[in-house]
Order: sequence, then structure tokens, then C-alpha cells
Amino acid sequence: MDANRGAAIEASGLVRTFGHLRALDGLDLSIRTGEIMGLVGPNGAGKTTFIRVVAGLLRPTDGTVRVLEHAPGRRVAADVGYMTQAAALYEDLPVLDNLLFFARLFGLPGDEAKTRAAELLDLVSLGGKERVPVRALSGGMRQLTNLACAMVHRPRLLLLDEPTVGIDPVLRLRLWDHFRELNDAGTTILVTTHVMEEAERCHRVALIGAGRAIAVGTPEELRGAARTETIEEAYLVFWNRDPNGDPS
Amino acid sequence: MSLSRVGAIAVRILKQFRHDRRTVALIVIVPLVVMALIGYLIGDSGKEQLPVAVVNLDAGVETQAGHVSLGGEIAAALGRQDQIEVHAVTSEQAAIDQVRSGDVAGALVMPADLTRRVLSGGGSVRVVVGGTDPNVQGPVLRATQAAVLSVATSAASTVGFQAPPLSVEPVSLAGGPNLSPLDYDAPILLTFFAFFLTFLLTSVSFLRERSSGTLERLMASPVSRLEVLLGYLLGFIGFAMAQALLILGYATWVLDVRIAGSIWLVLLVLVVLLVGVVNLGIALSFYARNELQVVQFMPLILVPQVFLGGLIWPVQTLWPPLRLLSQLLPLTHSTVALRAVMVGGVGFGDVAGRLLALLAFSVAMVALGVLALRKQRA
Repeated sequence: MDANRGAAIEASGLVRTFGHLRALDGLDLSIRTGEIMGLVGPNGAGKTTFIRVVAGLLRPTDGTVRVLEHAPGRRVAADVGYMTQAAALYEDLPVLDNLLFFARLFGLPGDEAKTRAAELLDLVSLGGKERVPVRALSGGMRQLTNLACAMVHRPRLLLLDEPTVGIDPVLRLRLWDHFRELNDAGTTILVTTHVMEEAERCHRVALIGAGRAIAVGTPEELRGAARTETIEEAYLVFWNRDPNGDPS
Repeated sequence: MSLSRVGAIAVRILKQFRHDRRTVALIVIVPLVVMALIGYLIGDSGKEQLPVAVVNLDAGVETQAGHVSLGGEIAAALGRQDQIEVHAVTSEQAAIDQVRSGDVAGALVMPADLTRRVLSGGGSVRVVVGGTDPNVQGPVLRATQAAVLSVATSAASTVGFQAPPLSVEPVSLAGGPNLSPLDYDAPILLTFFAFFLTFLLTSVSFLRERSSGTLERLMASPVSRLEVLLGYLLGFIGFAMAQALLILGYATWVLDVRIAGSIWLVLLVLVVLLVGVVNLGIALSFYARNELQVVQFMPLILVPQVFLGGLIWPVQTLWPPLRLLSQLLPLTHSTVALRAVMVGGVGFGDVAGRLLALLAFSVAMVALGVLALRKQRA
């Protein structure tokens, strides 16, 4: 990781409301190019809203966000991979066709798309399932297909919204190995998670609460500053210390 | 059997509907719209009259009883018919032009020597009709026959003749007497089913695209809204046209329906119509949360078009505001255009106006589709 490179995502004073609900409430966060940033926080903290804003699917109500030095949206979409929380796939189509479809949307030529699809199927242990319609897959396998679709165009920035939910521990480790490989090759990764062991694998972690970043740092820094054994405990310390104010 | 369990299920259904306000609104609105239209169109009250051009060239004859002109009497008798509104026109060609353009439902032409011929043994009046819409020409022919009969009977007593031999000679500008009801109805069935099936297919598929989250995924990719719409359009037009060809092929080869005009023109009308329908389906699917609501949209979309589009009742007899509304409905134009081509055998120039109207509908629907997709990236 090279800390001198510019920010992959730069959010400042980000607000997004849904009616009366302030899902993001002045969120400031900078994600450096080449790092794996984990977003940790309870349900409803604003993690998914933030990812959707970065993916260009939601416009901020207030504040600014830059993604790969552009406003989010179509201009940077080709460099961003987005894995939704629930598998968003064409149920009637076989696994391979789903992958090839998304590859074509992102402009991969036919041969390259096929090579990449085969590579990904192997990675997520779905080799042999390419002809199986998605609706016939188990929940975990769907999630793997979902992930593969998000990575099919080798994005510079990968947004993963709880990527390992419903996936067994062995496969989860393999996926994280792959995330590391992608990251070593230069992919910036923003990942939301509830699994603290996953948070430990991130270069830096942002603790999100009530639509704000209540603390940001490496896992060691966060544990150290909170004087706790785990990030989970650190979260509670930071939350109680300053639930509404700026991260200290 | 436990009544409380049965009750629990019933109450749960009511509660679910209470949270689904759109469905509740549709449950109330759909029957009201449908019943209002049926009540208006089937009940005679308030229905407008069919305009008929009358060309009275009859010079009349001087008799001992004075000047007799059967032409004038027939025109007056036609004017007394409930369903008919008489428009006096001076030349036969002008009247035929009006029939052709659809300004009038038919033209009654009484030749210069009508009275003389009748008194000397036999005369006839001509009724010119478009020949492509039985709903229009039927009432015109019946009313003319009734008017002629009443004049013939009263003239007999005035002039002292037996009922004079006076006949009605129908003239169709297109089609003709050899057409079966199916020949007239095939264009309606074609346009209706093409519309219905395409709308259902697109709206439900797009709803799935939305509810499965794949639309969100598309929107997070470099694909533009217009590209999504065009992709959908290409995909569904293929299906819709295959379906239309199936209906058309079956009608032609199995049911022996005749297609007087160019099959390419028939297909062109359908393509232009269906481009609009695909986008209507996409746009409306954004206002539906589930398949149930899409299905509930169907009567709201289809019933007014079937009732007001000239499929069952002639557009000319509609109350003027409804007639105006009917011009905004795509099925009105596609029905007229397809009938003109399939029954009347007319060429491109004669349906260009209808094609233009369908094109306007399609362009409006593409715009609506793009607007609806905008909601997805909000």
C-alpha cells in the first residue's frame, strides 16, 4: 500500500436523507488508493447507503463525494465493481451467462470475457456449475456468483456489501485470499462487514454509527486508542465516548 | 375447523391490503372507470350521431299534385333518424373524399334524375361507405334504408302510386360485400393481442429486473438509461413481432383472412405501435410494486382503448371530449391503419397520418421510460 497516492474515495460532509431518516449525517471519510478499507457498524448505521452513493445509485442530499477523482456515476462506473448485499442475478440464466452478460456490459471482448469467467468460476469454486441456472443454486453459491459478477471487469475499485454473508468459513478464507491478491495487484477495496475477524484483515477500518464515521484507523490503532482487545469492543468505546460529535 | 384460524387468515389479507394503498386505489378506480365507460357506451344516452354527407342532385318532377322531389324528402327523412347527422354536400366527389378521410361515416348520393326514374318505373340512391369498418357502415346503411322506405311509403299515398320502386345501392370504397366478419375483425385482433401480450411481457419482466436488484446492478455499470431502454426494445420487439407474425400467419392461412394491402405496411404499423408499448410497459412497471399491481394496470390501460378506440363502437359517435381522448390512444390509430391496409388495401400515403400519431406515442413513451429509469439513479 502506498499512502502517497491520491484518495480513491473522498467523502466530505456527506448527507443522505430518506424522508425524515438521515441515513448519512455528515459523513467524512477518505479511502486511499490501494487500500482495503472496512466499514464496520450496526445495521442502519449507513454503510450500505454510503456504498450506494459511491456506486452512483443514490445522489447525496448534501456534501460531496469523489470516486476515482470524478463524481460517482457512469464516467467512473467502468472502473468500479459493486457487489450488492442480496444476490442481484438473472435467475433463469445459467451462472456462466450471468457472468458473460456483465462482462459485456463492462465492455470485455468475447474471448477475454470467457477466459475471465472461467478464471472466476474456478476462484469461487463454481467450476462445473457454469450451466446451472442461478435459481437452482444454494444461497451461498448465489452469493459467490454475485461476487464473481462484481469482479468480472477487473475494477480498480471494488465495493463489497457484506460479501461473505452465508458463505462457509473455508470459502470465506479463500475469498479473502483473493481480495488480498486483487489488492496486491492494485485494486482498492471498500468492504462492509459484521465479521470482526474480517475487519482485522483490512488495512484500515472506519467505524460507522448514525450516518457518521465515529473513528478511522488501522485495526491496531483503533484497539490501541480504545484500549480494547477487539474492534467490536473498540466500537462500543468510541460510540459511548462521542456518539454525536466528531471522531476523536 | 377453527373459526379463529380462518378469521386470522382473513384479517391478515385485509391488513396486507391496507398497507398496499395502490392496490386498494386500483380496486376502487378500475371498476368505476370500466363501468362508467360501459354505461355510457352501451346506454344510448349522450351518444353522438354519425355524420353522413348527403348529396342531393335530384331535380324533381312537376306533377298534377305539384313539384315532387324525392331526394329532398329522403334527405329530410334521413335527418330524422336518431343516429344520423346530415351534412349537405354539393358534389359527389367532395362527399367521397370526406368518406375516405373519415370525416363522415358515409355519403348518400341522389342522382339528378332520381324522381323521374322512380316515377317511370325504378330508381336508386347510392350509399358510399369506407368499407373497412362494419361498425360505421352498418348503422349508415340501415338508417338510409329506413329513410328510403319511409319516403317510398309516403310518396305512394301522395302521388297515388303503389310504393314506388326505390332501392338503395351500397358502394364500398374498399373491401366490399364479399368480406367475412373475420376479415373486418382480424386487424382488431392483431393489434389488440400484439398490444396486450407485449405490455404484459415487458412490464412483468422489467418489474423482475427491478425487484431482483439486477436493474440496480445495470445502473451501477457504464450502461446508460437509453441503452437499457433500447436493449429492452430490441429484445422485446423481436418477441412481439414473432407473436404478431404467428397471429397474422394463422389468420391468413388457416382462417383465410385476406390482406388486401402490403404485409410490410402491416408490420410497419405493428413495429411503430409496439415500440411505444414496450416503453409503456417499462414506465408503468415503475409504478407497480409487484406482479399483482401490473395485472391491475391492464384493465386501466386496455379497457378505455377497446371501448374508445373504434374496436367496438365507432369513434365518430363518441361524445366530443371522449373522441378527443380516443385520438390519444394508440389502439385507435393502429386499428384504423391496420383496417385500412388489410381490408382497404391502401398504401403508405393513406396511413401516414396514423403512423405519425403512433410514432408520436412511441416517442412520448420512450421519454416516459427514460424518466422512469431516472428514478432508479436518484
